[in-house]
Amino acid sequence: MNKNEQLTDSMFYIMAVLAQPRHGYAIMSQIEETSEGAITIGPASMYTIIKKLLKSEWIYLYDDSDSRRKTYLLTDKGREVLEEDLKTRKLMIQLAENGLKEAGK
Amino acid sequence: MKKTKYITSGGLAFSEEKDMKKLQRFSREGWHLKDFAFMGYTLEKGEPADFIYSVDYRTLEDGEEDEYLDVFDSSGWSHVASAATIHLFRAPAGTKPLYTDRETTVEKYGRNSAWIGKAALPLVLLTGIAWAGAILSTGILNAFFFVAAVILTVMAVPAAWTALTAYENKWKAAGRIKAASLAKVLPFLIVMGALIAFVGFSNTNAAVKMFLSMLAGALALPLLVWAVMASANRLRAK
Repeated sequence: MNKNEQLTDSMFYIMAVLAQPRHGYAIMSQIEETSEGAITIGPASMYTIIKKLLKSEWIYLYDDSDSRRKTYLLTDKGREVLEEDLKTRKLMIQLAENGLKEAGK
Repeated sequence: MKKTKYITSGGLAFSEEKDMKKLQRFSREGWHLKDFAFMGYTLEKGEPADFIYSVDYRTLEDGEEDEYLDVFDSSGWSHVASAATIHLFRAPAGTKPLYTDRETTVEKYGRNSAWIGKAALPLVLLTGIAWAGAILSTGILNAFFFVAAVILTVMAVPAAWTALTAYENKWKAAGRIKAASLAKVLPFLIVMGALIAFVGFSNTNAAVKMFLSMLAGALALPLLVWAVMASANRLRAK
Protein backbone atom coordinates (compact mmCIF):
# COMPACT_ATOMS: atom_id res chain seq x y z
CA MET A 1 0.00 0.00 0.00
CA ASN A 2 1.45 3.33 -1.08
CA LYS A 3 1.73 5.97 1.61
CA ASN A 4 0.79 8.79 -0.77
CA GLU A 5 -2.38 7.11 -1.98
CA GLN A 6 -5.65 8.33 -0.51
CA LEU A 7 -7.06 5.85 2.01
CA THR A 8 -10.31 4.15 1.04
CA ASP A 9 -13.24 5.29 3.16
CA SER A 10 -13.42 1.96 5.00
CA MET A 11 -9.69 2.05 5.80
CA PHE A 12 -10.08 5.60 7.08
CA TYR A 13 -12.91 4.66 9.47
CA ILE A 14 -11.09 1.60 10.77
CA MET A 15 -7.83 3.45 11.35
CA ALA A 16 -9.74 6.27 13.05
CA VAL A 17 -11.26 3.94 15.67
CA LEU A 18 -7.94 2.12 16.11
CA ALA A 19 -6.44 5.16 17.85
CA GLN A 20 -7.61 3.06 20.83
CA PRO A 21 -6.95 -0.70 21.08
CA ARG A 22 -10.02 -2.59 19.78
CA HIS A 23 -10.91 -6.05 18.52
CA GLY A 24 -12.71 -6.77 15.26
CA TYR A 25 -16.28 -6.64 16.44
CA ALA A 26 -15.59 -3.56 18.60
CA ILE A 27 -14.22 -1.79 15.50
CA MET A 28 -17.41 -2.43 13.57
CA SER A 29 -19.77 -1.45 16.38
CA GLN A 30 -17.78 1.68 17.28
CA ILE A 31 -17.97 2.90 13.67
CA GLU A 32 -21.68 2.16 13.53
CA GLU A 33 -22.46 3.81 16.87
CA THR A 34 -20.40 6.95 16.27
CA SER A 35 -21.99 7.45 12.86
CA GLU A 36 -25.45 6.67 14.26
CA GLY A 37 -25.84 3.82 11.80
CA ALA A 38 -25.00 5.92 8.73
CA ILE A 39 -21.76 3.99 8.17
CA THR A 40 -21.53 0.21 8.42
CA ILE A 41 -18.66 -2.11 7.55
CA GLY A 42 -19.25 -5.78 6.78
CA PRO A 43 -17.16 -8.41 8.58
CA ALA A 44 -15.36 -9.63 5.44
CA SER A 45 -14.47 -6.08 4.38
CA MET A 46 -13.19 -5.35 7.89
CA TYR A 47 -11.17 -8.56 8.15
CA THR A 48 -9.58 -7.89 4.73
CA ILE A 49 -8.60 -4.36 5.76
CA ILE A 50 -7.19 -5.43 9.15
CA LYS A 51 -4.87 -7.87 7.35
CA LYS A 52 -3.83 -5.17 4.91
CA LEU A 53 -3.13 -2.57 7.61
CA LEU A 54 -1.05 -5.12 9.53
CA LYS A 55 0.98 -5.81 6.41
CA SER A 56 1.61 -2.10 5.84
CA GLU A 57 2.55 -1.81 9.53
CA TRP A 58 0.01 0.97 10.03
CA ILE A 59 -1.52 -1.05 12.89
CA TYR A 60 -0.02 -3.77 15.09
CA LEU A 61 -1.29 -6.69 17.11
CA TYR A 62 -1.77 -5.16 20.54
CA ASP A 63 -3.05 -8.16 22.52
CA ASP A 64 -3.64 -11.73 21.34
CA SER A 65 -4.33 -13.37 24.70
CA ASP A 66 -7.89 -14.11 23.49
CA SER A 67 -7.47 -15.86 20.12
CA ARG A 68 -11.08 -15.00 19.18
CA ARG A 69 -10.81 -11.32 20.07
CA LYS A 70 -7.34 -10.05 19.18
CA THR A 71 -6.95 -6.30 19.64
CA TYR A 72 -5.12 -3.89 17.36
CA LEU A 73 -3.69 -0.39 17.71
CA LEU A 74 -2.33 2.26 15.31
CA THR A 75 1.45 2.40 14.92
CA ASP A 76 3.24 5.77 14.77
CA LYS A 77 3.47 5.35 11.01
CA GLY A 78 -0.25 4.61 10.87
CA ARG A 79 -1.04 7.70 12.91
CA GLU A 80 0.98 9.84 10.46
CA VAL A 81 -0.83 8.34 7.47
CA LEU A 82 -4.20 8.95 9.12
CA GLU A 83 -3.31 12.55 9.99
CA GLU A 84 -2.21 13.24 6.39
CA ASP A 85 -5.42 11.73 5.05
CA LEU A 86 -7.49 13.71 7.53
CA LYS A 87 -5.95 16.94 6.18
CA THR A 88 -7.02 16.04 2.64
CA ARG A 89 -10.51 15.12 3.82
CA LYS A 90 -10.84 18.42 5.72
CA LEU A 91 -9.96 20.25 2.48
CA MET A 92 -12.59 18.21 0.65
CA ILE A 93 -15.24 19.22 3.18
CA GLN A 94 -14.16 22.85 3.12
CA LEU A 95 -14.43 22.86 -0.65
CA ALA A 96 -17.99 21.57 -0.50
CA GLU A 97 -19.00 23.93 2.31
CA ASN A 98 -17.57 26.98 0.51
CA GLY A 99 -19.25 25.91 -2.71
CA LEU A 100 -22.64 25.59 -1.04
CA LYS A 101 -22.19 28.86 0.86
CA GLU A 102 -21.40 30.72 -2.36
CA ALA A 103 -24.39 29.21 -4.06
CA GLY A 104 -26.58 30.29 -1.13
CA LYS A 105 -25.61 33.99 -1.42
CA MET B 1 -38.80 -39.32 5.68
CA LYS B 2 -35.33 -38.47 4.45
CA LYS B 3 -33.50 -35.92 6.61
CA THR B 4 -30.94 -34.76 4.03
CA LYS B 5 -30.90 -34.15 0.31
CA TYR B 6 -28.52 -33.16 -2.45
CA ILE B 7 -28.84 -30.19 -4.78
CA THR B 8 -26.53 -29.21 -7.64
CA SER B 9 -24.30 -26.14 -7.84
CA GLY B 10 -23.73 -24.17 -11.02
CA GLY B 11 -20.08 -23.92 -9.94
CA LEU B 12 -19.27 -21.01 -7.61
CA ALA B 13 -17.10 -19.22 -10.17
CA PHE B 14 -19.94 -19.40 -12.68
CA SER B 15 -23.03 -18.82 -10.56
CA GLU B 16 -22.21 -17.66 -7.04
CA GLU B 17 -25.18 -15.32 -6.82
CA LYS B 18 -27.61 -17.87 -8.29
CA ASP B 19 -26.38 -20.57 -5.91
CA MET B 20 -26.86 -18.28 -2.88
CA LYS B 21 -30.42 -17.42 -4.01
CA LYS B 22 -31.14 -21.12 -4.53
CA LEU B 23 -29.96 -21.91 -0.99
CA GLN B 24 -32.17 -19.11 0.34
CA ARG B 25 -35.19 -20.54 -1.53
CA PHE B 26 -34.58 -24.00 -0.07
CA SER B 27 -34.20 -22.57 3.46
CA ARG B 28 -37.64 -20.97 3.14
CA GLU B 29 -38.98 -24.47 2.49
CA GLY B 30 -37.13 -25.81 5.55
CA TRP B 31 -34.11 -27.30 3.74
CA HIS B 32 -30.96 -25.73 5.16
CA LEU B 33 -27.40 -25.98 3.89
CA LYS B 34 -25.35 -28.55 5.78
CA ASP B 35 -22.17 -28.96 3.75
CA PHE B 36 -20.49 -28.87 0.38
CA ALA B 37 -20.91 -32.04 -1.70
CA PHE B 38 -19.48 -33.18 -5.01
CA MET B 39 -20.60 -30.52 -7.54
CA GLY B 40 -23.33 -29.36 -5.19
CA TYR B 41 -24.56 -29.04 -1.63
CA THR B 42 -26.10 -31.24 1.05
CA LEU B 43 -29.21 -29.85 2.70
CA GLU B 44 -30.75 -30.82 6.01
CA LYS B 45 -34.46 -30.80 6.91
CA GLY B 46 -35.50 -28.30 9.58
CA GLU B 47 -37.98 -25.52 10.25
CA PRO B 48 -38.56 -23.06 7.37
CA ALA B 49 -36.59 -19.84 7.93
CA ASP B 50 -35.70 -16.75 5.93
CA PHE B 51 -31.93 -17.19 5.75
CA ILE B 52 -29.55 -15.50 3.35
CA TYR B 53 -26.27 -17.10 2.30
CA SER B 54 -22.93 -15.60 1.38
CA VAL B 55 -19.50 -16.85 0.42
CA ASP B 56 -15.99 -15.64 1.18
CA TYR B 57 -12.73 -16.74 -0.48
CA ARG B 58 -9.69 -16.66 1.74
CA THR B 59 -6.66 -18.72 2.71
CA LEU B 60 -6.60 -18.88 6.51
CA GLU B 61 -3.23 -19.19 8.21
CA ASP B 62 -2.79 -21.23 11.38
CA GLY B 63 -4.45 -19.55 14.34
CA GLU B 64 -6.52 -17.17 12.23
CA GLU B 65 -9.70 -19.18 12.17
CA ASP B 66 -10.99 -18.35 15.68
CA GLU B 67 -10.81 -14.63 15.10
CA TYR B 68 -12.11 -14.82 11.54
CA LEU B 69 -15.20 -16.81 12.52
CA ASP B 70 -15.83 -14.64 15.60
CA VAL B 71 -15.92 -11.45 13.54
CA PHE B 72 -18.50 -13.01 11.21
CA ASP B 73 -20.46 -14.60 14.02
CA SER B 74 -20.79 -11.39 16.03
CA SER B 75 -22.10 -9.67 12.88
CA GLY B 76 -24.86 -12.27 12.60
CA TRP B 77 -23.18 -14.55 10.03
CA SER B 78 -22.79 -18.12 11.27
CA HIS B 79 -20.30 -20.36 9.56
CA VAL B 80 -21.86 -23.35 7.81
CA ALA B 81 -19.12 -25.04 5.81
CA SER B 82 -15.65 -24.58 4.37
CA ALA B 83 -13.89 -26.32 1.49
CA ALA B 84 -10.25 -25.34 0.88
CA THR B 85 -10.33 -21.55 0.51
CA ILE B 86 -14.12 -21.27 0.21
CA HIS B 87 -16.14 -20.39 3.30
CA LEU B 88 -19.94 -20.35 3.38
CA PHE B 89 -21.98 -18.33 5.88
CA ARG B 90 -25.67 -17.99 6.75
CA ALA B 91 -27.57 -15.14 8.42
CA PRO B 92 -31.15 -14.05 9.03
CA ALA B 93 -32.49 -12.00 6.06
CA GLY B 94 -31.66 -8.32 6.51
CA THR B 95 -28.23 -8.87 8.10
CA LYS B 96 -25.66 -6.44 6.67
CA PRO B 97 -23.62 -8.00 3.85
CA LEU B 98 -20.13 -9.51 4.27
CA TYR B 99 -18.64 -6.95 1.90
CA THR B 100 -19.68 -3.31 2.08
CA ASP B 101 -17.28 -1.58 -0.31
CA ARG B 102 -16.02 -2.05 -3.83
CA GLU B 103 -12.30 -2.19 -2.99
CA THR B 104 -12.54 -5.19 -0.69
CA THR B 105 -15.09 -6.89 -2.98
CA VAL B 106 -12.59 -6.67 -5.84
CA GLU B 107 -9.97 -8.17 -3.50
CA LYS B 108 -12.32 -11.05 -2.67
CA TYR B 109 -12.59 -12.06 -6.33
CA GLY B 110 -8.93 -11.19 -6.86
CA ARG B 111 -7.83 -13.71 -4.21
CA ASN B 112 -10.04 -16.34 -5.82
CA SER B 113 -8.90 -15.72 -9.40
CA ALA B 114 -5.24 -15.67 -8.35
CA TRP B 115 -5.69 -19.04 -6.65
CA ILE B 116 -7.55 -20.69 -9.55
CA GLY B 117 -5.23 -19.07 -12.09
CA LYS B 118 -2.17 -20.50 -10.34
CA ALA B 119 -3.74 -23.97 -10.46
CA ALA B 120 -4.83 -23.73 -14.11
CA LEU B 121 -1.70 -22.18 -15.64
CA PRO B 122 0.72 -25.16 -15.29
CA LEU B 123 -1.98 -27.46 -16.64
CA VAL B 124 -2.51 -25.26 -19.69
CA LEU B 125 1.25 -24.97 -20.30
CA LEU B 126 1.76 -28.74 -20.00
CA THR B 127 -1.10 -29.30 -22.43
CA GLY B 128 0.52 -26.93 -24.92
CA ILE B 129 3.83 -28.74 -24.62
CA ALA B 130 2.16 -32.14 -25.09
CA TRP B 131 0.39 -30.98 -28.27
CA ALA B 132 3.57 -29.44 -29.62
CA GLY B 133 5.29 -32.78 -28.94
CA ALA B 134 2.50 -34.69 -30.68
CA ILE B 135 2.68 -32.46 -33.74
CA LEU B 136 6.48 -32.50 -34.05
CA SER B 137 7.37 -36.09 -33.10
CA THR B 138 6.98 -39.48 -34.83
CA GLY B 139 6.73 -43.15 -33.86
CA ILE B 140 6.38 -44.30 -30.24
CA LEU B 141 7.11 -40.81 -28.91
CA ASN B 142 4.29 -39.46 -31.03
CA ALA B 143 1.83 -41.98 -29.59
CA PHE B 144 2.92 -41.10 -26.06
CA PHE B 145 2.57 -37.33 -26.58
CA PHE B 146 -0.75 -37.86 -28.28
CA VAL B 147 -2.30 -39.77 -25.37
CA ALA B 148 -0.84 -37.32 -22.84
CA ALA B 149 -2.15 -34.38 -24.83
CA VAL B 150 -5.68 -35.79 -25.05
CA ILE B 151 -5.84 -36.51 -21.31
CA LEU B 152 -4.38 -33.12 -20.38
CA THR B 153 -6.77 -31.27 -22.69
CA VAL B 154 -9.78 -32.83 -20.99
CA MET B 155 -8.55 -31.36 -17.67
CA ALA B 156 -7.05 -28.10 -18.95
CA VAL B 157 -10.08 -26.79 -20.83
CA PRO B 158 -12.50 -26.70 -17.87
CA ALA B 159 -9.67 -25.45 -15.59
CA ALA B 160 -8.81 -22.60 -17.95
CA TRP B 161 -12.48 -21.77 -18.40
CA THR B 162 -13.05 -21.62 -14.63
CA ALA B 163 -9.96 -19.41 -14.19
CA LEU B 164 -11.15 -17.09 -16.94
CA THR B 165 -14.57 -16.83 -15.29
CA ALA B 166 -12.94 -16.12 -11.91
CA TYR B 167 -11.09 -13.21 -13.55
CA GLU B 168 -14.32 -12.11 -15.19
CA ASN B 169 -15.91 -11.92 -11.70
CA LYS B 170 -13.02 -9.79 -10.45
CA TRP B 171 -13.20 -7.39 -13.40
CA LYS B 172 -16.97 -7.13 -13.04
CA ALA B 173 -16.57 -6.20 -9.35
CA ALA B 174 -13.96 -3.60 -10.32
CA GLY B 175 -16.33 -2.09 -12.90
CA ARG B 176 -14.07 -3.11 -15.78
CA ILE B 177 -17.03 -4.04 -17.98
CA LYS B 178 -15.04 -4.36 -21.23
CA ALA B 179 -12.50 -6.79 -19.75
CA ALA B 180 -15.30 -8.80 -18.12
CA SER B 181 -17.29 -9.07 -21.38
CA LEU B 182 -14.16 -10.12 -23.24
CA ALA B 183 -13.56 -12.90 -20.69
CA LYS B 184 -17.16 -14.00 -21.21
CA VAL B 185 -17.03 -14.21 -25.01
CA LEU B 186 -13.47 -15.59 -25.25
CA PRO B 187 -14.51 -19.29 -25.01
CA PHE B 188 -17.03 -18.73 -27.84
CA LEU B 189 -14.37 -17.01 -29.94
CA ILE B 190 -11.96 -19.91 -29.37
CA VAL B 191 -14.59 -22.44 -30.52
CA MET B 192 -15.24 -20.38 -33.63
CA GLY B 193 -11.51 -19.96 -34.27
CA ALA B 194 -10.87 -23.68 -33.84
CA LEU B 195 -13.72 -24.57 -36.20
CA ILE B 196 -12.50 -22.14 -38.86
CA ALA B 197 -8.92 -23.40 -38.50
CA PHE B 198 -10.20 -26.97 -38.73
CA VAL B 199 -11.89 -26.32 -42.06
CA GLY B 200 -8.99 -24.20 -43.32
CA PHE B 201 -6.24 -26.68 -42.47
CA SER B 202 -8.07 -29.91 -43.16
CA ASN B 203 -5.12 -31.31 -45.12
CA THR B 204 -2.53 -30.91 -42.37
CA ASN B 205 -1.15 -33.14 -39.63
CA ALA B 206 -3.55 -35.49 -37.86
CA ALA B 207 -2.44 -34.18 -34.44
CA VAL B 208 -3.28 -30.59 -35.40
CA LYS B 209 -6.70 -31.74 -36.53
CA MET B 210 -7.24 -33.73 -33.36
CA PHE B 211 -6.19 -30.78 -31.22
CA LEU B 212 -8.53 -28.36 -32.95
CA SER B 213 -11.49 -30.70 -32.88
CA MET B 214 -10.92 -31.49 -29.19
CA LEU B 215 -10.71 -27.81 -28.35
CA ALA B 216 -13.94 -27.13 -30.20
CA GLY B 217 -15.62 -30.17 -28.69
CA ALA B 218 -14.46 -29.53 -25.14
CA LEU B 219 -15.88 -26.01 -25.24
CA ALA B 220 -18.94 -26.64 -27.40
CA LEU B 221 -20.34 -29.49 -25.29
CA PRO B 222 -20.56 -27.59 -21.97
CA LEU B 223 -21.82 -24.53 -23.86
CA LEU B 224 -24.57 -26.65 -25.34
CA VAL B 225 -25.45 -28.17 -21.96
CA TRP B 226 -25.47 -24.72 -20.42
CA ALA B 227 -27.67 -23.29 -23.18
CA VAL B 228 -30.18 -26.13 -22.82
CA MET B 229 -30.25 -25.80 -19.02
CA ALA B 230 -30.56 -22.02 -19.15
CA SER B 231 -33.53 -22.17 -21.53
CA ALA B 232 -35.12 -24.96 -19.50
CA ASN B 233 -34.79 -22.84 -16.34
CA ARG B 234 -36.30 -19.87 -18.11
CA LEU B 235 -39.24 -21.97 -19.31
CA ARG B 236 -39.81 -23.34 -15.82
CA ALA B 237 -39.71 -19.84 -14.32
CA LYS B 238 -42.58 -18.72 -16.60
